[in-house]
Amino acid sequence: MRSIVMGAGLLLSLSTPAWADRVAPLTDPVTLKACGECHMAFQPDFLPARSWARMMDSLDNHFGESAAMAPDKVAHIRKVLEDGAADRVGGKVAGRFLRWVAPDGTPQRITENPAFLRKHDFPAREWARADVKSKSNCPACHKRAERGDYEED
Amino acid sequence: MSGDAPRAAPGRWELPALRLWHAALAGGFLVAWLTADEDTYRMHVFAGYWVLIAVSLRLGLAAMGTPRGPLALVRPGRSRLMIWMGGVLMTMVGLAALSGVIADGVTSVEDLHEGLSNTALWLIPAHAALVAWVFQGKRLRDKVMGAARVSALPVLVLLGLAAAVPAQAADPARDAILADYAKAAKAADSGFTGFSAARGESIYRARNTVNADFPSCATCHTDDPTRPGRHAKTGREIAPAAVSANPKRFTDAEKVEERFNRDCKTVLGRECSARDRGDFITFLSSK
Ligand code: HEC
Ligand code: HEC
Ligand code: HEC
Repeated sequence: MRSIVMGAGLLLSLSTPAWADRVAPLTDPVTLKACGECHMAFQPDFLPARSWARMMDSLDNHFGESAAMAPDKVAHIRKVLEDGAADRVGGKVAGRFLRWVAPDGTPQRITENPAFLRKHDFPAREWARADVKSKSNCPACHKRAERGDYEED
Repeated sequence: MSGDAPRAAPGRWELPALRLWHAALAGGFLVAWLTADEDTYRMHVFAGYWVLIAVSLRLGLAAMGTPRGPLALVRPGRSRLMIWMGGVLMTMVGLAALSGVIADGVTSVEDLHEGLSNTALWLIPAHAALVAWVFQGKRLRDKVMGAARVSALPVLVLLGLAAAVPAQAADPARDAILADYAKAAKAADSGFTGFSAARGESIYRARNTVNADFPSCATCHTDDPTRPGRHAKTGREIAPAAVSANPKRFTDAEKVEERFNRDCKTVLGRECSARDRGDFITFLSSK
Protein backbone atom coordinates (compact mmCIF):
# COMPACT_ATOMS: atom_id res chain seq x y z
CA MET A 1 0.00 0.00 0.00
CA ARG A 2 2.69 2.42 1.07
CA SER A 3 4.66 1.85 -2.09
CA ILE A 4 1.60 2.46 -4.25
CA VAL A 5 1.02 5.73 -2.45
CA MET A 6 4.64 6.75 -2.83
CA GLY A 7 4.66 5.74 -6.49
CA ALA A 8 1.55 7.76 -7.22
CA GLY A 9 3.00 10.72 -5.32
CA LEU A 10 6.23 10.50 -7.27
CA LEU A 11 4.46 10.33 -10.62
CA LEU A 12 2.38 13.33 -9.67
CA SER A 13 5.28 15.43 -8.53
CA LEU A 14 7.09 14.62 -11.75
CA SER A 15 4.14 15.75 -13.80
CA THR A 16 3.82 19.13 -12.08
CA PRO A 17 5.18 22.02 -14.12
CA ALA A 18 8.20 24.28 -13.69
CA TRP A 19 10.32 24.27 -10.58
CA ALA A 20 11.42 27.84 -11.09
CA ASP A 21 9.70 29.59 -8.18
CA ARG A 22 9.48 26.73 -5.81
CA VAL A 23 11.07 25.99 -2.52
CA ALA A 24 11.06 22.56 -0.92
CA PRO A 25 7.77 22.09 0.93
CA LEU A 26 7.97 22.01 4.70
CA THR A 27 7.14 18.44 5.75
CA ASP A 28 8.02 18.17 9.43
CA PRO A 29 4.65 17.58 11.12
CA VAL A 30 5.60 19.24 14.43
CA THR A 31 6.72 22.43 12.70
CA LEU A 32 3.75 22.43 10.34
CA LYS A 33 1.36 22.24 13.25
CA ALA A 34 3.11 24.60 15.66
CA CYS A 35 3.99 27.31 13.12
CA GLY A 36 0.90 26.90 10.95
CA GLU A 37 -1.81 27.92 13.40
CA CYS A 38 -1.65 31.68 13.23
CA HIS A 39 -0.32 32.00 9.68
CA MET A 40 0.90 29.52 7.12
CA ALA A 41 4.04 27.64 8.20
CA PHE A 42 6.64 29.55 6.15
CA GLN A 43 9.35 27.49 4.49
CA PRO A 44 12.74 28.06 6.11
CA ASP A 45 14.30 29.01 2.73
CA PHE A 46 13.38 32.67 3.11
CA LEU A 47 15.62 33.49 6.09
CA PRO A 48 19.15 32.53 7.18
CA ALA A 49 19.69 30.08 10.05
CA ARG A 50 20.72 32.84 12.49
CA SER A 51 17.36 34.58 11.93
CA TRP A 52 15.45 31.42 12.79
CA ALA A 53 17.60 30.91 15.87
CA ARG A 54 16.79 34.39 17.08
CA MET A 55 13.09 33.89 16.39
CA MET A 56 12.98 30.59 18.27
CA ASP A 57 14.65 32.31 21.25
CA SER A 58 11.99 35.00 21.45
CA LEU A 59 8.67 33.23 20.93
CA ASP A 60 7.30 34.90 24.09
CA ASN A 61 7.00 38.05 22.09
CA HIS A 62 6.53 37.01 18.51
CA PHE A 63 5.39 40.04 16.49
CA GLY A 64 3.33 41.31 19.44
CA GLU A 65 1.85 37.92 20.26
CA SER A 66 2.90 35.09 22.49
CA ALA A 67 3.85 32.00 20.50
CA ALA A 68 5.47 30.32 23.49
CA MET A 69 5.64 26.52 23.48
CA ALA A 70 7.29 23.66 25.34
CA PRO A 71 11.15 23.80 25.28
CA ASP A 72 11.56 20.40 23.62
CA LYS A 73 9.26 21.50 20.82
CA VAL A 74 11.21 24.74 20.42
CA ALA A 75 14.45 22.77 20.12
CA HIS A 76 12.99 20.40 17.55
CA ILE A 77 11.57 23.19 15.38
CA ARG A 78 14.72 25.27 15.65
CA LYS A 79 16.70 22.39 14.16
CA VAL A 80 14.20 21.88 11.31
CA LEU A 81 14.28 25.58 10.44
CA GLU A 82 18.06 25.92 10.72
CA ASP A 83 18.63 22.84 8.56
CA GLY A 84 16.37 24.22 5.84
CA ALA A 85 17.52 27.84 6.09
CA ALA A 86 18.50 29.95 3.09
CA ASP A 87 22.22 29.83 3.90
CA ARG A 88 22.15 26.03 4.43
CA VAL A 89 20.18 24.75 1.44
CA GLY A 90 20.88 27.31 -1.25
CA GLY A 91 18.63 27.29 -4.31
CA LYS A 92 17.32 30.02 -6.55
CA VAL A 93 14.71 31.57 -4.28
CA ALA A 94 16.91 31.30 -1.18
CA GLY A 95 19.80 32.94 -3.03
CA ARG A 96 17.61 35.80 -4.17
CA PHE A 97 16.54 36.53 -0.59
CA LEU A 98 19.95 36.00 1.00
CA ARG A 99 21.61 38.55 -1.28
CA TRP A 100 19.92 41.34 0.66
CA VAL A 101 20.84 40.16 4.14
CA ALA A 102 23.93 41.64 5.85
CA PRO A 103 26.53 38.99 6.82
CA ASP A 104 25.61 39.19 10.51
CA GLY A 105 22.04 40.46 10.05
CA THR A 106 19.17 38.55 11.67
CA PRO A 107 16.05 39.84 9.88
CA GLN A 108 12.78 38.47 11.27
CA ARG A 109 10.48 39.37 8.44
CA ILE A 110 10.35 37.76 5.02
CA THR A 111 8.04 40.50 3.84
CA GLU A 112 10.58 43.30 4.41
CA ASN A 113 13.31 41.72 2.30
CA PRO A 114 13.85 43.74 -0.89
CA ALA A 115 13.61 40.49 -2.88
CA PHE A 116 10.06 40.21 -1.59
CA LEU A 117 9.23 43.90 -1.96
CA ARG A 118 10.37 44.04 -5.57
CA LYS A 119 8.04 41.22 -6.58
CA HIS A 120 5.19 42.56 -4.47
CA ASP A 121 5.07 46.23 -5.36
CA PHE A 122 1.27 46.46 -5.32
CA PRO A 123 -0.99 49.44 -4.58
CA ALA A 124 -2.27 49.70 -0.99
CA ARG A 125 -5.78 48.62 -1.93
CA GLU A 126 -4.45 45.23 -3.02
CA TRP A 127 -3.00 44.61 0.46
CA ALA A 128 -6.20 45.89 2.06
CA ARG A 129 -8.36 43.22 0.40
CA ALA A 130 -10.43 41.49 3.10
CA ASP A 131 -9.09 38.07 2.14
CA VAL A 132 -5.46 39.24 2.18
CA LYS A 133 -5.24 41.44 5.25
CA SER A 134 -1.47 41.06 5.64
CA LYS A 135 1.61 40.63 3.48
CA SER A 136 2.39 37.51 5.45
CA ASN A 137 -0.81 35.84 4.21
CA CYS A 138 0.97 34.16 1.27
CA PRO A 139 -1.76 31.57 0.54
CA ALA A 140 -4.31 34.32 -0.09
CA CYS A 141 -2.54 34.97 -3.41
CA HIS A 142 -0.36 31.88 -3.88
CA LYS A 143 -2.87 29.02 -3.65
CA ARG A 144 -0.11 26.42 -3.50
CA ALA A 145 2.18 28.36 -1.17
CA GLU A 146 2.03 25.71 1.54
CA ARG A 147 3.49 23.25 -0.96
CA GLY A 148 6.34 25.64 -1.67
CA ASP A 149 4.95 26.77 -5.02
CA TYR A 150 4.96 30.53 -5.56
CA GLU A 151 4.19 30.54 -9.24
CA GLU A 152 1.90 33.36 -10.20
CA ASP A 153 -1.74 32.24 -10.00
CA MET B 1 -22.88 -23.03 -18.48
CA SER B 2 -23.59 -22.64 -22.20
CA GLY B 3 -25.54 -19.69 -23.52
CA ASP B 4 -28.57 -21.82 -24.50
CA ALA B 5 -29.01 -23.66 -21.24
CA PRO B 6 -32.11 -22.64 -19.31
CA ARG B 7 -31.31 -19.89 -16.86
CA ALA B 8 -30.91 -20.88 -13.27
CA ALA B 9 -33.54 -18.94 -11.35
CA PRO B 10 -31.86 -16.11 -9.47
CA GLY B 11 -32.07 -16.30 -5.70
CA ARG B 12 -34.82 -14.19 -4.20
CA TRP B 13 -32.29 -12.25 -2.21
CA GLU B 14 -30.45 -11.01 -5.25
CA LEU B 15 -32.61 -8.08 -6.36
CA PRO B 16 -33.02 -6.66 -2.83
CA ALA B 17 -29.27 -7.10 -2.32
CA LEU B 18 -28.59 -5.14 -5.49
CA ARG B 19 -30.93 -2.36 -4.38
CA LEU B 20 -29.45 -2.23 -0.93
CA TRP B 21 -25.98 -2.05 -2.40
CA HIS B 22 -27.09 0.74 -4.74
CA ALA B 23 -28.57 2.70 -1.84
CA ALA B 24 -25.38 2.22 0.19
CA LEU B 25 -23.16 3.42 -2.65
CA ALA B 26 -25.38 6.38 -3.55
CA GLY B 27 -25.85 7.29 0.11
CA GLY B 28 -22.11 7.06 0.80
CA PHE B 29 -21.31 9.25 -2.18
CA LEU B 30 -23.98 11.76 -1.13
CA VAL B 31 -22.57 11.98 2.39
CA ALA B 32 -19.03 12.32 1.03
CA TRP B 33 -20.18 15.14 -1.24
CA LEU B 34 -22.08 16.95 1.54
CA THR B 35 -19.15 16.72 3.95
CA ALA B 36 -16.34 17.64 1.55
CA ASP B 37 -15.35 20.48 3.83
CA GLU B 38 -12.47 20.98 6.21
CA ASP B 39 -14.63 20.99 9.31
CA THR B 40 -16.52 17.80 8.50
CA TYR B 41 -13.37 16.06 7.36
CA ARG B 42 -13.71 12.99 9.56
CA MET B 43 -17.16 12.19 8.19
CA HIS B 44 -15.91 12.80 4.67
CA VAL B 45 -13.10 10.30 5.11
CA PHE B 46 -15.50 7.78 6.63
CA ALA B 47 -17.90 8.16 3.69
CA GLY B 48 -14.99 7.84 1.27
CA TYR B 49 -13.95 4.48 2.72
CA TRP B 50 -17.60 3.47 2.71
CA VAL B 51 -17.82 4.18 -1.02
CA LEU B 52 -14.57 2.35 -1.69
CA ILE B 53 -15.79 -0.71 0.20
CA ALA B 54 -19.16 -0.57 -1.60
CA VAL B 55 -17.44 -0.55 -4.99
CA SER B 56 -15.29 -3.56 -4.11
CA LEU B 57 -18.30 -5.29 -2.58
CA ARG B 58 -20.06 -5.06 -5.93
CA LEU B 59 -17.47 -7.35 -7.48
CA GLY B 60 -17.93 -9.83 -4.64
CA LEU B 61 -21.70 -9.73 -5.08
CA ALA B 62 -21.33 -10.40 -8.79
CA ALA B 63 -19.31 -13.50 -7.97
CA MET B 64 -21.91 -14.70 -5.45
CA GLY B 65 -25.02 -14.08 -7.56
CA THR B 66 -26.51 -16.33 -10.22
CA PRO B 67 -24.68 -15.97 -13.55
CA ARG B 68 -26.79 -13.62 -15.71
CA GLY B 69 -28.97 -12.81 -12.70
CA PRO B 70 -29.59 -9.33 -11.26
CA LEU B 71 -26.13 -9.23 -9.69
CA ALA B 72 -24.21 -10.09 -12.85
CA LEU B 73 -22.11 -7.18 -14.08
CA VAL B 74 -23.17 -7.78 -17.68
CA ARG B 75 -26.80 -8.79 -17.82
CA PRO B 76 -28.16 -10.27 -21.02
CA GLY B 77 -30.92 -8.20 -22.58
CA ARG B 78 -29.80 -5.01 -20.92
CA SER B 79 -28.86 -2.09 -23.15
CA ARG B 80 -25.11 -1.99 -23.88
CA LEU B 81 -25.11 1.70 -23.12
CA MET B 82 -26.39 1.12 -19.61
CA ILE B 83 -23.84 -1.53 -18.92
CA TRP B 84 -21.07 0.78 -20.05
CA MET B 85 -22.50 3.67 -18.12
CA GLY B 86 -22.66 1.59 -14.96
CA GLY B 87 -19.10 0.39 -15.43
CA VAL B 88 -17.69 3.85 -16.12
CA LEU B 89 -19.60 5.41 -13.24
CA MET B 90 -18.48 2.76 -10.79
CA THR B 91 -14.87 3.04 -11.95
CA MET B 92 -14.92 6.83 -11.59
CA VAL B 93 -16.55 6.70 -8.17
CA GLY B 94 -14.05 4.06 -7.10
CA LEU B 95 -11.10 6.08 -8.42
CA ALA B 96 -12.43 9.21 -6.73
CA ALA B 97 -12.58 7.36 -3.40
CA LEU B 98 -9.18 5.75 -3.90
CA SER B 99 -7.51 9.04 -4.80
CA GLY B 100 -9.12 10.50 -1.68
CA VAL B 101 -7.51 7.82 0.47
CA ILE B 102 -4.16 8.66 -1.11
CA ALA B 103 -4.70 12.42 -0.82
CA ASP B 104 -5.26 11.96 2.89
CA GLY B 105 -1.53 11.23 3.14
CA VAL B 106 -0.08 12.92 0.05
CA THR B 107 -1.51 16.41 -0.28
CA SER B 108 -0.30 16.84 -3.85
CA VAL B 109 -2.96 14.31 -4.91
CA GLU B 110 -5.72 16.63 -3.64
CA ASP B 111 -6.31 18.29 -6.99
CA LEU B 112 -6.55 14.93 -8.75
CA HIS B 113 -9.04 13.76 -6.13
CA GLU B 114 -11.14 16.86 -6.62
CA GLY B 115 -11.11 16.42 -10.39
CA LEU B 116 -12.08 12.75 -10.25
CA SER B 117 -14.82 13.44 -7.71
CA ASN B 118 -16.27 16.21 -9.84
CA THR B 119 -16.25 13.97 -12.89
CA ALA B 120 -18.02 11.23 -10.93
CA LEU B 121 -20.52 13.82 -9.71
CA TRP B 122 -21.37 14.81 -13.27
CA LEU B 123 -21.75 11.20 -14.35
CA ILE B 124 -24.51 10.65 -11.80
CA PRO B 125 -27.20 12.79 -13.47
CA ALA B 126 -26.11 11.27 -16.79
CA HIS B 127 -26.58 7.80 -15.31
CA ALA B 128 -30.00 8.77 -13.89
CA ALA B 129 -31.07 10.29 -17.21
CA LEU B 130 -30.04 7.15 -19.04
CA VAL B 131 -31.94 4.93 -16.62
CA ALA B 132 -35.00 7.14 -17.02
CA TRP B 133 -34.69 6.94 -20.79
CA VAL B 134 -34.35 3.15 -20.79
CA PHE B 135 -37.12 2.42 -18.31
CA GLN B 136 -39.53 5.10 -19.43
CA GLY B 137 -42.98 5.74 -18.07
CA LYS B 138 -44.69 3.40 -15.69
CA ARG B 139 -41.84 0.98 -15.31
CA LEU B 140 -39.68 3.83 -14.12
CA ARG B 141 -42.28 4.96 -11.59
CA ASP B 142 -42.70 1.43 -10.32
CA LYS B 143 -38.98 1.03 -10.03
CA VAL B 144 -38.48 4.34 -8.27
CA MET B 145 -41.25 3.68 -5.77
CA GLY B 146 -40.04 0.14 -5.17
CA ALA B 147 -36.47 1.24 -4.79
CA ALA B 148 -37.50 4.09 -2.52
CA ARG B 149 -39.17 1.65 -0.16
CA VAL B 150 -36.18 -0.66 -0.09
CA SER B 151 -33.55 2.08 0.09
CA ALA B 152 -35.36 4.28 2.58
CA LEU B 153 -34.00 2.34 5.54
CA PRO B 154 -30.28 2.26 4.67
CA VAL B 155 -30.42 5.88 3.51
CA LEU B 156 -32.07 6.91 6.75
CA VAL B 157 -29.49 4.98 8.74
CA LEU B 158 -26.73 6.71 6.78
CA LEU B 159 -28.19 10.16 7.24
CA GLY B 160 -28.64 9.38 10.92
CA LEU B 161 -24.96 8.49 11.10
CA ALA B 162 -24.05 11.71 9.35
CA ALA B 163 -26.07 13.70 11.85
CA ALA B 164 -24.80 11.73 14.83
CA VAL B 165 -21.09 12.31 14.25
CA PRO B 166 -21.03 16.11 14.60
CA ALA B 167 -23.63 15.89 17.38
CA GLN B 168 -21.45 13.70 19.59
CA ALA B 169 -20.67 16.58 21.93
CA ALA B 170 -19.23 14.41 24.67
CA ASP B 171 -15.67 13.32 23.99
CA PRO B 172 -13.62 11.38 26.52
CA ALA B 173 -10.51 13.46 25.85
CA ARG B 174 -12.40 16.71 26.44
CA ASP B 175 -14.03 15.31 29.57
CA ALA B 176 -10.61 14.35 30.91
CA ILE B 177 -9.26 17.86 30.24
CA LEU B 178 -12.23 19.39 32.05
CA ALA B 179 -11.84 16.96 34.96
CA ASP B 180 -8.19 18.01 35.34
CA TYR B 181 -9.16 21.68 35.38
CA ALA B 182 -11.90 20.94 37.93
CA LYS B 183 -9.37 19.24 40.20
CA ALA B 184 -6.98 22.19 39.91
CA ALA B 185 -9.79 24.70 40.47
CA LYS B 186 -10.87 22.84 43.59
CA ALA B 187 -7.31 22.80 44.88
CA ALA B 188 -7.04 26.58 44.37
CA ASP B 189 -10.40 27.35 45.97
CA SER B 190 -12.22 24.88 48.19
CA GLY B 191 -15.48 26.77 47.56
CA PHE B 192 -15.39 25.78 43.85
CA THR B 193 -18.68 24.13 42.89
CA GLY B 194 -18.39 23.66 39.13
CA PHE B 195 -17.78 25.45 35.87
CA SER B 196 -20.13 28.08 34.50
CA ALA B 197 -20.91 28.67 30.84
CA ALA B 198 -22.02 32.22 31.74
CA ARG B 199 -18.62 33.08 33.25
CA GLY B 200 -16.98 31.47 30.22
CA GLU B 201 -19.04 33.61 27.89
CA SER B 202 -18.00 36.79 29.66
CA ILE B 203 -14.30 35.83 29.26
CA TYR B 204 -14.99 35.15 25.59
CA ARG B 205 -16.79 38.43 24.90
CA ALA B 206 -15.09 40.89 27.30
CA ARG B 207 -13.40 43.88 25.67
CA ASN B 208 -9.95 44.32 27.15
CA THR B 209 -7.42 47.13 26.88
CA VAL B 210 -4.11 45.25 27.12
CA ASN B 211 -3.62 44.78 23.41
CA ALA B 212 -5.11 47.23 20.95
CA ASP B 213 -4.83 44.74 18.09
CA PHE B 214 -6.69 41.98 19.91
CA PRO B 215 -9.15 43.48 22.42
CA SER B 216 -11.17 40.27 22.83
CA CYS B 217 -11.14 36.51 22.31
CA ALA B 218 -13.94 37.18 19.85
CA THR B 219 -11.59 39.37 17.78
CA CYS B 220 -10.14 36.23 16.23
CA HIS B 221 -12.66 33.57 17.23
CA THR B 222 -15.55 35.85 16.06
CA ASP B 223 -18.70 37.00 17.85
CA ASP B 224 -20.48 33.87 16.72
CA PRO B 225 -18.23 30.98 17.77
CA THR B 226 -20.06 28.53 15.52
CA ARG B 227 -18.62 30.40 12.52
CA PRO B 228 -15.04 30.20 11.27
CA GLY B 229 -12.84 32.90 12.75
CA ARG B 230 -9.95 34.78 11.26
CA HIS B 231 -6.66 35.80 12.82
CA ALA B 232 -7.10 39.57 13.07
CA LYS B 233 -3.53 40.33 12.01
CA THR B 234 -2.45 37.59 9.62
CA GLY B 235 -5.83 36.89 7.99
CA ARG B 236 -5.38 33.14 8.53
CA GLU B 237 -8.72 31.35 8.83
CA ILE B 238 -9.41 29.72 12.20
CA ALA B 239 -11.81 26.77 12.49
CA PRO B 240 -14.97 27.51 14.55
CA ALA B 241 -14.38 27.63 18.31
CA ALA B 242 -17.72 26.04 19.25
CA VAL B 243 -17.73 22.30 19.83
CA SER B 244 -21.03 21.88 17.98
CA ALA B 245 -19.45 23.25 14.81
CA ASN B 246 -16.03 21.68 15.35
CA PRO B 247 -16.07 18.41 17.31
CA LYS B 248 -12.25 18.33 17.52
CA ARG B 249 -12.21 21.35 19.81
CA PHE B 250 -10.53 21.00 23.22
CA THR B 251 -9.56 17.37 22.73
CA ASP B 252 -5.75 17.74 22.54
CA ALA B 253 -4.60 18.59 26.06
CA GLU B 254 -1.20 19.91 24.98
CA LYS B 255 -2.71 22.24 22.40
CA VAL B 256 -5.41 23.46 24.79
CA GLU B 257 -2.81 24.35 27.46
CA GLU B 258 -0.48 25.96 24.94
CA ARG B 259 -3.21 28.13 23.44
CA PHE B 260 -4.62 29.21 26.81
CA ASN B 261 -1.11 30.14 27.93
CA ARG B 262 -0.67 32.26 24.84
CA ASP B 263 -4.03 33.72 24.03
CA CYS B 264 -4.75 34.76 27.64
CA LYS B 265 -1.36 36.47 27.85
CA THR B 266 -1.88 38.21 24.50
CA VAL B 267 -5.46 39.35 25.08
CA LEU B 268 -5.83 39.63 28.87
CA GLY B 269 -2.19 40.28 29.78
CA ARG B 270 -2.42 37.56 32.44
CA GLU B 271 -2.65 33.82 32.89
CA CYS B 272 -6.07 32.22 32.81
CA SER B 273 -6.75 30.24 35.98
CA ALA B 274 -7.89 26.61 35.87
CA ARG B 275 -11.41 27.84 36.61
CA ASP B 276 -11.25 30.36 33.72
CA ARG B 277 -10.13 27.58 31.40
CA GLY B 278 -12.89 25.21 32.47
CA ASP B 279 -15.50 27.97 32.19
CA PHE B 280 -14.30 28.88 28.70
CA ILE B 281 -14.48 25.27 27.49
CA THR B 282 -17.86 24.79 29.16
CA PHE B 283 -19.21 27.87 27.36
CA LEU B 284 -17.98 26.70 23.97
CA SER B 285 -19.23 23.16 24.55
CA SER B 286 -22.69 24.58 25.19
CA LYS B 287 -22.73 26.53 21.93
C1 HEC C 1 0.29 32.67 18.33
C2 HEC C 1 0.30 32.92 16.91
C3 HEC C 1 1.60 32.59 16.16
C4 HEC C 1 2.30 31.42 16.16
C5 HEC C 1 1.99 30.12 16.91
C6 HEC C 1 3.42 31.61 15.26
N1 HEC C 1 3.38 32.87 14.73
FE1 HEC C 1 4.69 33.64 13.40
N2 HEC C 1 3.63 35.40 13.39
C7 HEC C 1 2.50 35.66 14.15
C8 HEC C 1 2.06 37.01 13.88
C9 HEC C 1 0.86 37.68 14.51
C10 HEC C 1 2.96 37.55 12.93
C11 HEC C 1 2.92 38.93 12.30
C12 HEC C 1 2.13 38.80 11.02
C13 HEC C 1 1.93 40.07 10.27
O1 HEC C 1 2.35 41.13 10.70
O2 HEC C 1 1.33 39.95 9.19
C14 HEC C 1 3.93 36.50 12.64
C15 HEC C 1 4.96 36.63 11.73
C16 HEC C 1 5.89 35.66 11.45
C17 HEC C 1 6.96 35.80 10.49
C18 HEC C 1 7.24 37.01 9.64
C19 HEC C 1 6.27 37.09 8.48
C20 HEC C 1 6.60 38.26 7.59
O3 HEC C 1 5.85 39.25 7.63
O4 HEC C 1 7.59 38.18 6.86
C21 HEC C 1 7.68 34.64 10.50
C22 HEC C 1 8.88 34.32 9.66
C23 HEC C 1 7.06 33.77 11.47
N3 HEC C 1 5.97 34.41 12.02
C24 HEC C 1 7.50 32.50 11.78
C25 HEC C 1 6.90 31.68 12.72
C26 HEC C 1 7.42 30.39 13.09
C27 HEC C 1 8.70 29.77 12.58
C28 HEC C 1 6.54 29.87 14.01
C29 HEC C 1 6.65 28.52 14.73
C30 HEC C 1 7.75 28.44 15.65
C31 HEC C 1 5.48 30.84 14.19
N4 HEC C 1 5.74 31.92 13.39
C32 HEC C 1 4.39 30.66 15.02
C33 HEC C 1 1.87 34.79 14.99
C34 HEC C 1 2.28 33.50 15.26
C1 HEC D 1 -1.49 40.29 -2.38
C2 HEC D 1 -1.12 39.04 -2.97
C3 HEC D 1 0.21 38.38 -2.56
C4 HEC D 1 0.62 38.01 -1.29
C5 HEC D 1 -0.12 38.20 0.01
C6 HEC D 1 1.90 37.38 -1.45
N1 HEC D 1 2.26 37.37 -2.78
FE1 HEC D 1 3.97 36.58 -3.56
N2 HEC D 1 3.48 37.26 -5.39
C7 HEC D 1 2.24 37.83 -5.72
C8 HEC D 1 2.24 38.10 -7.16
C9 HEC D 1 1.08 38.71 -7.93
C10 HEC D 1 3.51 37.69 -7.65
C11 HEC D 1 4.05 37.78 -9.08
C12 HEC D 1 4.80 39.06 -9.23
C13 HEC D 1 5.71 39.10 -10.42
O1 HEC D 1 6.01 38.03 -10.97
O2 HEC D 1 6.11 40.17 -10.78
C14 HEC D 1 4.25 37.16 -6.52
C15 HEC D 1 5.53 36.63 -6.60
C16 HEC D 1 6.16 35.93 -5.59
C17 HEC D 1 7.43 35.24 -5.69
C18 HEC D 1 8.31 35.19 -6.90
C19 HEC D 1 7.70 34.37 -7.95
C20 HEC D 1 8.16 34.87 -9.28
O3 HEC D 1 7.36 34.75 -10.20
O4 HEC D 1 9.27 35.37 -9.37
C21 HEC D 1 7.71 34.67 -4.50
C22 HEC D 1 8.90 33.80 -4.13
C23 HEC D 1 6.62 35.03 -3.62
N3 HEC D 1 5.71 35.79 -4.30
C24 HEC D 1 6.57 34.67 -2.29
C25 HEC D 1 5.60 35.13 -1.42
C26 HEC D 1 5.63 34.85 0.01
C27 HEC D 1 6.68 34.02 0.72
C28 HEC D 1 4.53 35.46 0.54
C29 HEC D 1 4.11 35.49 2.01
C30 HEC D 1 5.14 35.84 2.97
C31 HEC D 1 3.82 36.13 -0.55
N4 HEC D 1 4.51 35.90 -1.72
C32 HEC D 1 2.65 36.86 -0.40
C33 HEC D 1 1.21 38.12 -4.87
C34 HEC D 1 1.24 37.96 -3.49
C1 HEC E 1 -4.86 36.74 17.68
C2 HEC E 1 -5.98 35.88 17.40
C3 HEC E 1 -6.57 35.10 18.61
C4 HEC E 1 -7.15 35.65 19.73
C5 HEC E 1 -7.36 37.12 20.04
C6 HEC E 1 -7.54 34.55 20.56
N1 HEC E 1 -7.21 33.37 19.95
FE1 HEC E 1 -7.48 31.49 20.70
N2 HEC E 1 -6.73 30.70 18.98
C7 HEC E 1 -6.20 31.40 17.93
C8 HEC E 1 -5.65 30.50 16.95
C9 HEC E 1 -4.97 30.88 15.64
C10 HEC E 1 -5.87 29.20 17.45
C11 HEC E 1 -5.40 27.88 16.84
C12 HEC E 1 -6.12 27.51 15.62
C13 HEC E 1 -7.22 26.54 15.86
O1 HEC E 1 -7.25 25.89 16.92
O2 HEC E 1 -8.07 26.42 14.99
C14 HEC E 1 -6.56 29.37 18.73
C15 HEC E 1 -6.95 28.31 19.54
C16 HEC E 1 -7.39 28.46 20.84
C17 HEC E 1 -7.60 27.37 21.76
C18 HEC E 1 -7.37 25.90 21.46
C19 HEC E 1 -8.65 25.23 21.12
C20 HEC E 1 -8.49 23.76 20.87
O3 HEC E 1 -9.29 23.22 20.10
O4 HEC E 1 -7.59 23.15 21.43
C21 HEC E 1 -8.00 27.93 22.95
C22 HEC E 1 -8.28 27.18 24.23
C23 HEC E 1 -8.07 29.35 22.76
N3 HEC E 1 -7.71 29.66 21.46
C24 HEC E 1 -8.46 30.25 23.74
C25 HEC E 1 -8.53 31.61 23.55
C26 HEC E 1 -8.95 32.55 24.59
C27 HEC E 1 -9.35 32.18 26.00
C28 HEC E 1 -8.88 33.79 24.03
C29 HEC E 1 -9.19 35.13 24.69
C30 HEC E 1 -8.56 35.35 25.98
C31 HEC E 1 -8.40 33.64 22.66
N4 HEC E 1 -8.21 32.31 22.42
C32 HEC E 1 -8.15 34.68 21.81
C33 HEC E 1 -6.16 32.77 17.80
C34 HEC E 1 -6.62 33.67 18.74
